Amino acid sequence: MAKTILHTQNLSIGYRNKKQLQPIASLIDIDLKEGKLIALIGANGIGKSTLLRTLTGIQEPLSGSVFLGQRPLENYSQTALAKQLSVVLTEKLPPSNLTVFELVALGRQPYTNWIGTLSPDDLTKTNAVMALTQIENFASKKHFEISDGQLQKVLIARALAQDTPLIILDEPTTHLDLLHKVSLFRLLRKLTRETGKCILFSTHDIDLAMELADEMIVMTAQQTFQDSPCVLIEKGVFNHLFADEHLSFDAKKGKFVFKNL
Amino acid sequence: MKITLPPFYLLLLVILVSGCKREDNANTLSKPAATNQIRQAKGLEIYGYQGYSIVKISNPWPKATKEYTYVLQQKNAVIPDSLKTFPVIPVPIRTIVVTSTTHIPSLEMLGEENTLVGFPSLDLISSEKIRTRIESGKIKELGNNQNLNTEVLIDLQPDLIVGFGIDNNNPTLDNLQKNGLQIMLNGDWNEQSPLGKAEWIKFFGALYNKEDLAEKLFANIEKEYQTTLALAQKAASKPTVVQGAIYENQWYLPHGNSWGSVFVRDAGGKYIWSESQGTGSLSLPFETVLEKAGEADFWIGPAQFTSLKAMTTDNPHYSQFKAYRNKKVYSFSNKKGKTGGLIFYELAPNRPDLVLKDMLKILHPELLPDYQLYFFEQLR
Amino acid sequence: MPISQRNTILFAALLLAVLFFLLCDLSLGPVTIPVSEIFTSLGGGQASKPTWEYIIMNYRLPKAITAILVGMGLSVSGLLMQTLFRNPLAGPYVLGLSSGSSLGVAFVILGAGYLPGFLGSFLVSSYGIVITSFLGSLLVLLAVLVVAQRLRDTMAILIVGLMFGSFTSAFVGVLTYFSSAEQLQKFTFWSLGNLGNLSWLSIGILTIAVAVGLLLSLASIKSLNALLLGENYARSMGLRYNRARLVIILATSILAGSITAFAGPIAFIGLAVPHIAKLVFQTSHHATLFYATLLFGAIIMLFCDILSQFPGTDITLPINAITSIIGAPVVIWLLVRKQNRLS
Repeated sequence: MAKTILHTQNLSIGYRNKKQLQPIASLIDIDLKEGKLIALIGANGIGKSTLLRTLTGIQEPLSGSVFLGQRPLENYSQTALAKQLSVVLTEKLPPSNLTVFELVALGRQPYTNWIGTLSPDDLTKTNAVMALTQIENFASKKHFEISDGQLQKVLIARALAQDTPLIILDEPTTHLDLLHKVSLFRLLRKLTRETGKCILFSTHDIDLAMELADEMIVMTAQQTFQDSPCVLIEKGVFNHLFADEHLSFDAKKGKFVFKNL
Repeated sequence: MKITLPPFYLLLLVILVSGCKREDNANTLSKPAATNQIRQAKGLEIYGYQGYSIVKISNPWPKATKEYTYVLQQKNAVIPDSLKTFPVIPVPIRTIVVTSTTHIPSLEMLGEENTLVGFPSLDLISSEKIRTRIESGKIKELGNNQNLNTEVLIDLQPDLIVGFGIDNNNPTLDNLQKNGLQIMLNGDWNEQSPLGKAEWIKFFGALYNKEDLAEKLFANIEKEYQTTLALAQKAASKPTVVQGAIYENQWYLPHGNSWGSVFVRDAGGKYIWSESQGTGSLSLPFETVLEKAGEADFWIGPAQFTSLKAMTTDNPHYSQFKAYRNKKVYSFSNKKGKTGGLIFYELAPNRPDLVLKDMLKILHPELLPDYQLYFFEQLR
Repeated sequence: MPISQRNTILFAALLLAVLFFLLCDLSLGPVTIPVSEIFTSLGGGQASKPTWEYIIMNYRLPKAITAILVGMGLSVSGLLMQTLFRNPLAGPYVLGLSSGSSLGVAFVILGAGYLPGFLGSFLVSSYGIVITSFLGSLLVLLAVLVVAQRLRDTMAILIVGLMFGSFTSAFVGVLTYFSSAEQLQKFTFWSLGNLGNLSWLSIGILTIAVAVGLLLSLASIKSLNALLLGENYARSMGLRYNRARLVIILATSILAGSITAFAGPIAFIGLAVPHIAKLVFQTSHHATLFYATLLFGAIIMLFCDILSQFPGTDITLPINAITSIIGAPVVIWLLVRKQNRLS
């Protein structure tokens, strides 16, 4: 039985505006196990980003709790948390002269000394993840000199270098073309198989996610589901994903179709 | 035709002759070709005539562009038309306003201190007689020299305001003139030689019809000065002198040709920068002064400091000077009037004889064994 | 991070340059002193002329040491500010510190007439100015920190700092309006900066302050490197952001505050030197940048000091004029370069 890395209990997420609560979604019970590739999907504005922020500790839950291993998330110090969970975000990096190697090596920060010197072990691990993500060829290039697709891989490598059991990616495929989307998903899958890490990513590419992810977390207005894609299709979860009469889910074809345009 | 011409010519002749006659009058009036009563001062000329005198001020400030002429008119005297373009001032003056402490000693020496009715920044005045008058409210405070209180002045209506300028721009004085007040410019501060400055007492002498007294007083001072000068020639040595002090990272010293430096030369000393020429101050970095003047025998006039300790508290580098270490530092900053005005600034221009004697006493004490320093004091 | 050969050579060259400019600063000036005399004097012997001995040991050496401290301290604090605020135009004074100092000193020089007698005369002394300058910058710092606690957004702190700067400048403006020409001149002279005239005691205090500031900066290198990826990534890598930000702001305040207290507000060095270091070393790695900025700061400040007492002449120029004359073209050139690189 695969080990649970992160699970939530009765989690309710949203915003606290002065004294008012703005709940976005509630009664979320999810379970992220090692070695699994899990996709988080849902309509725009349903709360995917909020959920990710709550899971990573950036935002406080409105009620309920998040557990990393056996301990609640709040009990982790910043450094301890950094050894459990790493992220890949969509935000543009501030301008700097960082080379690809230096960027990846930054992932070792939770393990380095007070001034950040890389030990031989750190160097080995950095090189290893670069090989894993196949970015060794441009290790000495500046991070702004490579393409978006390559940069995405570099950021994933950095998260890998951080050596955490759980990696969370926020919409990693948004700006990529189909070829790169597929390539990225395949990379993520390979990583879960080869390193045993749990990888959670949010995406709008539902079709690809269904084919490649081990499990999916689906957020609808009423409820949040987690299961393998097949089971979710069987349960008809995707039928009510989008509140639009022109869009429906075809269980046989296993994809969304348009009607009455 | 022949008949009409002669009357015409006659008329012409009459006009010409009367014109000549008028010119003649003017010429005869100025014919005594009065000599300039001034012999030392370069910026002042006074010519005495029957019933009036002409005062010419040239160079009232550095780079002055014109000369200023005034006609001092005795009661009921006739002024030639050619002179009526100049300001005419009725003399003797009964009430006066002056604007610089350097004007005060002349009033006092001529016995006319009771005519003073107003002055800007009264606290600067040291003269005891005048301080008494100030305390009994007889002299009005006029603000500061850059910004004289026009209303008080109009109210006061002095017979004359003696002002001075530092450049061609004198809006305050122009303003007062527009308001009907009588202004006269005084250029004593820009006079460079010691005796020249002292001779400006005659400027005031002319205002009070006391030219003879002014001449007598000046001649006395002149004589004392020449005597002391001759005595100084007997000195066996020529000690070196440094002047000035540091202000905000720069050492400011007087030029070699400035009024203060002339005394050093005349008293038989060698001011290290005696060759420098110019107006205003010389500014040098500390290092240069230390290098050139570190071994100077005497230090005259270290700015505003009143004690040796005050000097090194302000800047420890002063202790590197031989003159400092030997305690041969002399300043006039210790001698002040009741309300803090420096006596030196007020009186020294009128009494160069005393300044020279002071200087001689400092540099060659053996030549003036019984003399006590008047303006200067040895800093302790 | 393997230090490449290029870096090693560059650092060696920089160290030599520091020594070279130090010797030049000690040797050149209105009075030119041969270098051999400098060595004799520093080595414990006596220079051939007593005035030279005095000038070297008591006049130029303190000035040179001050220049090095100022150059190092301001440059490093500029580096900190540029990374924290992700703004290439940030400098050590961006938090409003120099405005606070100006206000403190303005109170003393321009407002001394309004203070009771004994207090006024003490404060106008050189120590008084140091103390009030430091208090002024401390006041602004506290105000910024109080506001910073309530602000998550670091950019907002930048704006708050600038606003406090304007606020204090307004006060200074009012004070200057009511001052005499002499007071204004004295205040202006302070604002133009001065590396000389510090007693050995003052230099000792400054050295300690700069050392503390530099140590705090050294301790922030790891945080600064993390911040190269932005605040969110930095937090995810274990950075305690609020604490790191506080340490960076403190380091900057100690460095900029103490330097301004003793030498007046020195412009442009904090802004320009980090850019020079980044350009020459072509890296964003803060350990390298820290040492590079230190050395470049010392070199450039010594160079400016040499120029301010123009060698061989009697011309002395205020240090701020020199740093601005050198710094402004550098900043403009950098911006042009950056535009070219981005486009």
